[in-house]
Amino acid sequence: MESIGLLAAGIAVLSGVGAGVGIGIATGKATEAIARQPEMANKITTTLLIGGAMAEATALYGFVVALMLLFVK
Amino acid sequence: MGERILEAMTPKKIFSIQLPGVEIPVTDVVIVSWIIMAVIIILALLFTSRLKLVPDKRQAAVEITVEGLYNMVKNQTGHHYAMVAPYIGTILIFLVISNVVSIFNILPDWEYLHRLTGWKLLDHIPTLRILPPTRNVNVTAAMGIMSILAVIIYSVRAKGVIGWIKNFKKPIGLMIPFNILDYIFRPVSLCFRLFGNILGGVIIMELIYIVLPVAIPAALSLYFDLFDGLLQAYVFAILTAMYIGEAIES
Repeated sequence: MESIGLLAAGIAVLSGVGAGVGIGIATGKATEAIARQPEMANKITTTLLIGGAMAEATALYGFVVALMLLFVK
Repeated sequence: MGERILEAMTPKKIFSIQLPGVEIPVTDVVIVSWIIMAVIIILALLFTSRLKLVPDKRQAAVEITVEGLYNMVKNQTGHHYAMVAPYIGTILIFLVISNVVSIFNILPDWEYLHRLTGWKLLDHIPTLRILPPTRNVNVTAAMGIMSILAVIIYSVRAKGVIGWIKNFKKPIGLMIPFNILDYIFRPVSLCFRLFGNILGGVIIMELIYIVLPVAIPAALSLYFDLFDGLLQAYVFAILTAMYIGEAIES
């Protein structure tokens, strides 16, 4: 039973893949946007940070679930 | 290894307050938050005493900080910003200090020194490790609930109770259940975002301390403690400002 929990925790952390891809795409687009319109850099950076935080949330849910599987008995 | 990480994760009970019938445990998380609050209050009193019309250096620094904060809030909330900015500023300053507080861990681990040197004297000094209070889910849950209460209060103050209730059927009546769900999931996501990031940083730093105790942690601490903590504090504050702005504008 213990080892199944460990396996489940490992699978839960796989949610990080989605967040990584999402933040990568967002950052790439933001770089393009800043290259096109450097005067908007401040606004784009703020939007990027907010979007990054949103995209990161899925990874964090996976992480929290993994922690629960590992430590909450 | 697992025990050490678990020890870093769980709050340690320092003492407890005895009330008739109930016993309230006071953990190191609470104590560190109290210390941070005290430091903020003292700094605020120091920096705002003897304000003059022509600012000196100290006052100019404070004015630049406050003005930057107001501008940041103004970008998110529009013309009601003067009402919202004090709250956002307060949580931003509290979160900035409490997320990066682990870099002030200057006292050595006395138990480790005792094992290293064999001096009996060192064993009697209690080890005090300062870890960010936001690594505990209770602290971040409180912050999330405060944020959503602030959304409701500012919305009611800006538009009245009727205006706030009317907000629920925007943009169309079909959206009512989703708008109500927003009030449940926003604090939850704010809470877990901050908690997960800070706890993740704490755990990774703990792993690094176990594997490579010398020199390397200093460089990685810059990212996992300082940069991540500052970014998450900023994100929390700006998301709260955005939610408030959404609720009081429209």
